[in-house]
Amino acid sequence: MPPTLRIAVVTAHPPSSGSLTEYAFHFFRYLRRKPEVDELILLGDELPAGKQYVFDGPGAKVTVDPCWRFDAIDNAWRIRNAVSKHKPDAVLFNIQFASFGRGKVPASLGLSAPWLVKQLGLPTIVLLHNIMETVDLKNAGFGGNKLMESAIRIFGNAATRMLLSADMVALTIPKYVEILRAKYGVDNALLAPHGSFDESPPPSLELPPGPLQIMTFGKFGTYKRVERLIEAFSLMQSSARPKLELVIAGTDSPNAAGYLESMRQRYSDVENVRFTGYVPEEDVRRIFGEAAVVVFPYTSTTGSSGVLHQAGDYAKAVVLPRIGDLAELVAEEGYTGEFFDPDDANSLAHAIGKIIDYPEHRKQMGLRNYRAARGLPMDEVVDWYLLHFERLIGERNRSQPLPA
Amino acid sequence: MKVESTHLEGVPVVRLSGRFDAYEVPQVRAWFDANKPAKAVVNLTGVNFLDSSALSLLVQQMKHCRERGGELALSCVAQPVRIIFELTRLDRAFPIAISEQEGVAALSFRRN
Repeated sequence: MPPTLRIAVVTAHPPSSGSLTEYAFHFFRYLRRKPEVDELILLGDELPAGKQYVFDGPGAKVTVDPCWRFDAIDNAWRIRNAVSKHKPDAVLFNIQFASFGRGKVPASLGLSAPWLVKQLGLPTIVLLHNIMETVDLKNAGFGGNKLMESAIRIFGNAATRMLLSADMVALTIPKYVEILRAKYGVDNALLAPHGSFDESPPPSLELPPGPLQIMTFGKFGTYKRVERLIEAFSLMQSSARPKLELVIAGTDSPNAAGYLESMRQRYSDVENVRFTGYVPEEDVRRIFGEAAVVVFPYTSTTGSSGVLHQAGDYAKAVVLPRIGDLAELVAEEGYTGEFFDPDDANSLAHAIGKIIDYPEHRKQMGLRNYRAARGLPMDEVVDWYLLHFERLIGERNRSQPLPA
Repeated sequence: MKVESTHLEGVPVVRLSGRFDAYEVPQVRAWFDANKPAKAVVNLTGVNFLDSSALSLLVQQMKHCRERGGELALSCVAQPVRIIFELTRLDRAFPIAISEQEGVAALSFRRN
C-alpha cells in the first residue's frame, strides 16, 4: 500500500515541557512508522530559545510547525490557521483540559481549536486524557473558591461541547465514555486503549546493587504532590531496613512553578532524597529500571496515568492512592498494586513497606503489571486511530467528491 | 476457544466461539497468517467475551485485507460483544452483518 495519509497532530511534544509530552512522543514514534502515513505535521508549542524539535531515524516525513504557546489566548486561531496552511488529510488533538494554559481563559479558548479546525471540513479526532466531570479543580490548580469552581464548571461544560464537535473524541477509560455520552447526548465519544510505550524484551526483575530506590515520576505540584511521600519516606528510614533512597523524578507542573524547589527546602532535613529534575527520554529506562517500587502520590486523578503504564512496561511494583480513576484502572486493565490513603503518610509507608520488604511479592507484582501493560502495544493502538481516520476520510470524500 | 473455517460463495468464513482474549489471539492470528485472505467474514456468534487484544487483532486483519484489496466483515455479533464494538466505535469501522450470507454480500459492495 503506498503511503497516502498526511496527518496533523496538535500536541505538546518533547522537548516541550507541556503536558502529555511522553504520550505524544510514543504515539508520534509509532504513527511515523506506519506504511500508510506519508507525512506527519507536528503542530506543537513554541519552544524556549536553544531548544528544538528533533525527528531522526526511520519513518514518514515530519513537518514541524510550532504554532501555539502555553497560556496564550490566540492558540485556537493560530492552530486553525496552521491546519489551513498545511492542508492535512486529518487532524488529531492529543490534549487534556489544561493543555493550552494554566489561566482559565487561555485554557478554555485553546480548547475551541478542534471546533475551529472542524469548520475547515477536515476529519478531526480529539484524544482527550481527562474530562471536566472528574477533575478535582482544587487539586488540579484551578480552584480558589466555590463560586469560581462553579464558573469553571460552566466554562468546562461549554469547552467539552466544543471538543465534542470533533468527529470523534477518544477516551482511555470506559467510564469517561459513558459520562460524556450520557451527559451530552453524543455518540461520537469512544474508548481507545491507552497502549504501552515500550517494545523491549521483558526487563529483569532484579535490582541493581545499592540503596533500594522508591521512585515517583511525573510533573508535580498540582494533584501530584510529594509531601506525604517524603514524610512516609522519613518514617521508613527510621525502621530497621536496608538503606533506602527516595527518587523524585521530573519537574514542576506547568501550573505549579517552584513547587519542587519549595519541597526541597521544606524537607531539607530528610536524608537520602534525590530530586532528578527533568528526565531526558534516554534516561527514562534507567530511572524506572533502578526503582524497587514506583509510587503515585496523587491527591486526585485527572485521567488514565501514563506513568502506570510505564511502570508496567518496566515490570515495576506500584503503590497507588485509594481514590478514583487509578483504582478503576488497576481493576479494569489487569494491573495490581498496594494502596494507601492519600492523606496519611503512615498508610503510604505501610504500603511501600509491603513491597520493598518482600522481594518475591515485589517481583510477582512487577511481572503481573508487565503483562497488563503489554496487553496492547502502542503500535496497535495507532492502527485503531488510522482505521477511524480512514473511515472519516472516506465519508468526507463521498460527501465532497473531488472534481473530475 | 474454537476456531473453524469454511467458504461461502468463495469467501472464507471464520467461526469463533468462546472467550476471545489475549490468550486466544495467537490461534486466530495463525489462521489469518496461514490463509492470508483478501476478503473474509468473521462469525462471532459463539463469542461471549472479547478484550482489547482481540479487537486489535481484528483491526490488524482488516488492515491486511485492505492491503490485499479486500475487506473484513463481522457477522452474528452477540449483544455483549456488540456493546464493546459500540463503546470503541469500531462498529462504524467494520461492516457488521446479521448473518454470514449478509456478511459476504456486504464485502462485495464495499471497496469495489
